[in-house]
Amino acid sequence: MSIRVWKIVLGVTATVLLPAQEETRTAQIEKARTQKAAQLKPDEVSKAENLLSRFKDEKLLERFSQGFNGVRAKLGNMVTGGGFAIGPEYSREDLFKGLLKFRTAAQVSTRGYYKIDNQWTLPRVGTNKLSLDIYTVHRNYGSINYYGPGPNSTKGGRANYRLEDTSTEASAVFTPVRGLAIGGTIGGLWINVGPGNDRRFISADRIFTEAQSPGIQRQTNFLRNSVFVQHDTRDNPITAKAGRNLLFQYTWFDDRNLNVHNFRRIDAEVQQFIPILNRSRVFALRAKTVLTEADGNQVAPFYLQPILGGSDDLRGFRNFRFSDRDMVMFNGEYRWEIFAGLDGALFVDAGKVFSRRGQLNFANLQKSYGFGLRGNARNATFLRVDVGFSREGFQVWVKFNDVFARPRFGNAISQPVF
Amino acid sequence: MITRFTLFLVLLTGVASARKFYDDDPILREPQPRDVGALQARKLSDVYDLFSLQFADLGERQPPPGSKKPSIRAQGINTIENPFDNAWWEPRHFFQRMTPDQLRRGPGNSTAPSTRRKWTILGVKSEGVTPGFRMLDADNRQYFVKFDPLSNPEMATAADRISSKIFYAMGYHVPENYLIYFKEDQLQLGDDVELATASGKKRKMTLRDLYEILLKVPKTADGRYRGTASLSLPGKPIGPPRYFGSRTDDPNDVVPHEHRRDQRALQVFCAWLGHEDSRAINNIDITVQQDGLRFIRHYLLDFGSTLGSASTKANSVRSGLPFFSWSEAAKNFFSLGLHVSYVDFAKYPHLPSVGRLEAKTFDPERWVPEYPNPAFRNALPDDEFWAAKQVMSLTDADLKAIVETGEYSDPRAAEWVTQVLIARRDKIGKAFFARVLPLDRFAVRDRQLAWEDLSGTAGSVSVQWHHFDNPSEQRTAISNATTAQVPAFSETGYLLAELTRPSQPKQKVFVYLRRREGTPIVGVERAW
Repeated sequence: MSIRVWKIVLGVTATVLLPAQEETRTAQIEKARTQKAAQLKPDEVSKAENLLSRFKDEKLLERFSQGFNGVRAKLGNMVTGGGFAIGPEYSREDLFKGLLKFRTAAQVSTRGYYKIDNQWTLPRVGTNKLSLDIYTVHRNYGSINYYGPGPNSTKGGRANYRLEDTSTEASAVFTPVRGLAIGGTIGGLWINVGPGNDRRFISADRIFTEAQSPGIQRQTNFLRNSVFVQHDTRDNPITAKAGRNLLFQYTWFDDRNLNVHNFRRIDAEVQQFIPILNRSRVFALRAKTVLTEADGNQVAPFYLQPILGGSDDLRGFRNFRFSDRDMVMFNGEYRWEIFAGLDGALFVDAGKVFSRRGQLNFANLQKSYGFGLRGNARNATFLRVDVGFSREGFQVWVKFNDVFARPRFGNAISQPVF
Repeated sequence: MITRFTLFLVLLTGVASARKFYDDDPILREPQPRDVGALQARKLSDVYDLFSLQFADLGERQPPPGSKKPSIRAQGINTIENPFDNAWWEPRHFFQRMTPDQLRRGPGNSTAPSTRRKWTILGVKSEGVTPGFRMLDADNRQYFVKFDPLSNPEMATAADRISSKIFYAMGYHVPENYLIYFKEDQLQLGDDVELATASGKKRKMTLRDLYEILLKVPKTADGRYRGTASLSLPGKPIGPPRYFGSRTDDPNDVVPHEHRRDQRALQVFCAWLGHEDSRAINNIDITVQQDGLRFIRHYLLDFGSTLGSASTKANSVRSGLPFFSWSEAAKNFFSLGLHVSYVDFAKYPHLPSVGRLEAKTFDPERWVPEYPNPAFRNALPDDEFWAAKQVMSLTDADLKAIVETGEYSDPRAAEWVTQVLIARRDKIGKAFFARVLPLDRFAVRDRQLAWEDLSGTAGSVSVQWHHFDNPSEQRTAISNATTAQVPAFSETGYLLAELTRPSQPKQKVFVYLRRREGTPIVGVERAW
C-alpha cells in the first residue's frame, strides 16, 4: 500500500478512535506553548560570547592600551629598520583634572636599539587655543643604514653607523582658528655618531671621509629653534579622504662646539586628498621638499641631512637609501575601498636628493611604484602593507600607520632619522 | 519497529491536525501569555553578534534560489496575513488610521522630565564621542539621556525622536523619547555617582567631570543643551532578543525569530529609515507584569543611528551596503575600484542636522544592514508587501507631522527629511507592491468581494471561485464564477477566490470565505 493509502486508513482510524488534537487555533498555540514549557531552561549565552561581553564591559582593551594605573606596554614606534620594539610606558592624562598630561617610556628593539623619552603637555592653556609641550628623548640606534652622500650612491655601498643622541625641546602651538596652527620650538640636541654594529656591512666611518660626509668623525651639540605654520583642512588627520594639509617649518641649527655645522633647514610639504564616488576612492597626493642652507664654510652634518627611501617616501628603495643636503619628493596614491575595513592602493613615488639649490626640479628623479593594502578600524589605518618596486628591486613594508600621517612639526620633522 | 511506529505517529499527527482553518480563525489577538516567572537577565556581545552573523549560518535560512524545497513562509501570523496583536507588535496606523496628533504622540507624550526640580544624575557614559546620562526627574522617573555630536547638532536626537514615532506607527513597542533642553544648573549629581575613566578605573564623579562631559555637547542658539530623554521602560530588562531562534526561558516565544513576520518586515522599515545599525543589541526584552501575569514584551531601542545619523557622526557613505561581503570584496579588489556600487553616486545636502540622508540612490531592494540579519535575510515578497503597505499608509501630511517632532531649528532640514522620507516611501511601495499582486483590505459588501489595489496600478484582475474543503484542503473550481460576485456556499462551507492579473499570472491572491455570521473573510494567501 502506498503512503497515501496508509494515511487515509490511519486518518479514518484516528478520526474514529482519537479525539482531534486541537479544535481551535488557540488550542494549537497553547499546545506549542506547552511543548516549549516542558523544555524551558535559562536563556544563556555561550562562553565565548560571555567572554567578549566581559572583555568589553571591563574595558580590557582600553586597560591594555591605556595601562593599569597608567602603566602599559608600548609597542613599536621606533625608527624603521630597528626591528620590533617593546617596553614599559607610564602615562597620566588626568593630572590637574586633565590640564596636564605626562608620559614616559623606555623601549628596546629586537635589533638592540633603545629609546627613552618623556613628554609633558599642557593641552589647553588659557582660551584653549594654546598648547605647550616639552619633549625629551634619548636614543641609541646601533646600525642606521648609510649609502653615502648624493644621488649616485650605490646599493652595494651600504654601510652603517651608530646614532646616539639626546634632545629636549619645548614647543608652543597657537590655533587661532580651526585648522590653522602657528608655533615654534626651542631646544637642544646632543649627538654622538659611532661605528655601526651590523657586522654584515662596513661601518660608515671606515669608508666615508669627513669631506664626503661632514660630521662622520666629529660630532657636535646644537641649539635648535624653529618656527612653523600648518594649515590643515583634512577631514581626518589619521586617514584623510578629503582636504589639504600645508606645512612649512624653518629650523635654525646652532653648532655649540665645533662651529662648523651651523645651518638652517626648510621643510615644506603639501598634501592633497581628492575623493571621488562618495569618498570610496581617493587620490592622495603629496609633494615635499627639505632644503638646507649654510653660510661660508659651514655645512649640515650628514646625520641631519635629508634622507630618502623607505616605507614613507620612495617605497621601492631600501630605508635611508639616499642622503644629501637637499631633497624633493612626490607621491601619488590611488586608494579604493575593498570593504569597510580594507582599502587597496596603487602608488607612484618619485624623488631625489641633491646638493645645490639649482637642482630643485623634476630632472633625474628616482622612481618607484607599487601596490598596497590598508586595514582600517575606527577611521584609522592600523595596518599597512606596501610592496614597492624600483630599479633596485622590490621592498615589502609592513607598517602600522598611514603613509602620509607623519607627526605635524617639531623635532620629528627636523630630524631625519626619527 | 521503531521506524514503523514513528511513521505511524507522524501520519497520525498529520491527519489529526489536518485542517486549514479553525473555528476561531482568524485570531487577531494572541491568547493570553503564560506567566514566565522570574527570568534572569543576560547580556549579548555586539562583537560576537557581528562576527557570528557575518561568518556563521545562524537560524534557519530560506532554501537557496532554484531549490526544490518550498520557501519558508512567515510564522506567528494569523490566517489573514497579520502577526498577532501581542508582545512583539500591535496593529496600528495601517489597520486603524492614526490622527496626526496620535502620530506625533507615539508611545506617549505626557511624561517628559519634570523641570520642577533639578534632575539628579545617577550615572554617566563618558567614553566615546557623545556622552550620556541616566537621571531621575522631580517625579522620580528615570530617563536615559543622549546627545548629539558636536559636529552635527540636532542630528541624532531628531533622528531618535522621529524614528521612534514611525516605528510606533508601524506597530512596534518603543520607549517614550522626549527632546529636552536645559542649562547646567538643571543638573545635580546624585550620591556616590561613579565615573569610569578611559582605563576602566572608577572614581567618584565631580561636578567638574560633569561640565567636562558637557563640553562634548553642542549648545542651542540660546545657550542650552539639547538631548533626547528616553523614559525607562516599566519592568525588568532581561537582555536583547536575537534575530534568530527563540528565548529558551520563555514559553510564549514559540516561533523562531527569523521566521516572525514582524521581524522579517523590519528589513523594509529599517531600509526606509536608513537604520543600518538594526542589530540585536538595539532591542530589549522587558519582563512586565499585567493583571498579575509576568510576560516578556519586546522593544525596539536606540534610533539615534537612523535618518542620516550614525549617532556620533554623520552616517557612513556606505549606508545600505554590508560591512563585508565576499563577492563585493572580490569585485572591488580585482577591479581596482572600478566596480561601482549603487550608493557611490549619492549626493548629500550640507545640512549638519541631517547628516547623510538621501533618496535618489536609495534602493529598497538592495539595501542591507551593516551585517547579516537572519530575519531580514528570510523576508519573502509577502513579508515585504506586508511592511510596504504599512509604510505607504503614512501620507505626506502624516510624515510632515512626525518630522515636526524632531524640532529641527533649520526648516530646510525638516523639509529635507520629510521629502526624503516621502521619496523613499514611494520607492518602497513601487518595489514591493510589484512583487506580489498588491490587493488588500478584502471585504464582502452586497455579496460582492471587494478589495483595494494598494499600488493603484494592478490593472484588471481576474477572479475564479472555488469550493474549498477545509479538512482535505481540496478545491473545486466553480464554473462561470469569474466575477466579484460571491457564489453560493456548498456543503463544505468555504469558498476560495483566486485573484490574478493577466500581466503577472504567477502573482495570485487567494481569499478564503467561510459561511458564518459577521466577517466571512477567513484567510488570505499570496503566491508570486
